[in-house]
Amino acid sequence: MEMLNALNVINAFPLAELEVGKQFYWQLGNLKLHGQVFLTSWFVIALLVIVSVLATQKIQRVPSGVQNLMEYALEFIRDLAKNQIGEKEYRPWVPFVGTLFLFIFVSNWSGALVPWKLVHLPSGELAAPTSDINTTVALALLTSLAYFYAGFSKKGLGYFGNYVQPVPFMLPFKIIEDFTKPLSLSFRLFGNILADELVVGVLVLLVPLFVPLPVMALGLFTSAIQALIFATLAAAYIGEAMEDHGEEHGEH
Amino acid sequence: MTYWTILLAVEAAAEEGGGLFDLDATLPLMAVQFLLLVAILNAVFYKPLSKALDDRDSYIRSNITDAQERLSKAQNLAKQYEQELAETRRQSQAIIATAQEDAQKIAAQKVAEAQREAQVQREQTQQELNQQKEEAMRSLEQQVDALSNQIVERLLGSVSAG
Repeated sequence: MEMLNALNVINAFPLAELEVGKQFYWQLGNLKLHGQVFLTSWFVIALLVIVSVLATQKIQRVPSGVQNLMEYALEFIRDLAKNQIGEKEYRPWVPFVGTLFLFIFVSNWSGALVPWKLVHLPSGELAAPTSDINTTVALALLTSLAYFYAGFSKKGLGYFGNYVQPVPFMLPFKIIEDFTKPLSLSFRLFGNILADELVVGVLVLLVPLFVPLPVMALGLFTSAIQALIFATLAAAYIGEAMEDHGEEHGEH
Repeated sequence: MTYWTILLAVEAAAEEGGGLFDLDATLPLMAVQFLLLVAILNAVFYKPLSKALDDRDSYIRSNITDAQERLSKAQNLAKQYEQELAETRRQSQAIIATAQEDAQKIAAQKVAEAQREAQVQREQTQQELNQQKEEAMRSLEQQVDALSNQIVERLLGSVSAG
């Protein structure tokens, strides 16, 4: 009873509030959209585009400032794609894998660093776009499409040969894999980011000062790792789809 | 606490038909938006910066090959100079050797000449000496003759007188 009273006191205190599953709906024809997701994703997209434009405005041979930063990011992405897809094929996939990484990374960090909660919406609240299941499912489905496209464009119908490699009884598992890949990708990202925001939110609700800081730092770490994992797995799936027969990679 | 949160989530879901797993038109629009972002970033970020990186790579590589070429050229030049130096040294040594040989030859010649001259002079002197000796002997003989004549005269004189 004491606990409940204390909770009520905290709840009445306007310092922190926790909302889960409430959406800020936009109506588009008879379609429903999650407005808060689009608002934050537009912020993320604008940030990425602005930084990119700044970085490539006047390209110098000896990089400095923003160009240096973005070159570092690009080299990181290239290495990632090269490691997973292979030296020969990785180049056309750098934009897709890299944008996955950058978009997820900036989204996650914006959720952790930008005080979105200060902006009041009629309902729901702003948060990282990746803490909404729609975003993560969209990215995961795009990844699925990407690796199917990669496989078919490389091998044509021979891509189906992948399903009976190295032994034909792998067929059902491989088919199941096609469903579990996007499922695990989307839920891993969604779960991690939402859980991180919830943990921080709950801790802030309980102890508004200082105590949530370590968890927030951990959240930054998790966010970065999740972006890296998503991009790496996407690249790995694409690489796997384009791989020549005879080599088998374990399930990630 | 979490329990309360979940309750709230369920409540919200019940209220607005939303909730955590609310899939709707956000999904395809987000996908389209993401593809747009890929296209935009490809144009403003990946292509120009990749080009910059590749350009820099090729620039550095060409610089390195250039430098290596120049290095090998310099090494070749150094080798050539060393060869020339060695040859010149050999030549100079040969010159020195011939000069020494010449000098020795000249010295030997001079020594031989001097010796010959000395020999000639010695022989001359010897001859003169012999001549003088002979002359002396001859004069001595004359004197001996004269003396012996005088002695004989004296002896004969004393005998005749006595």
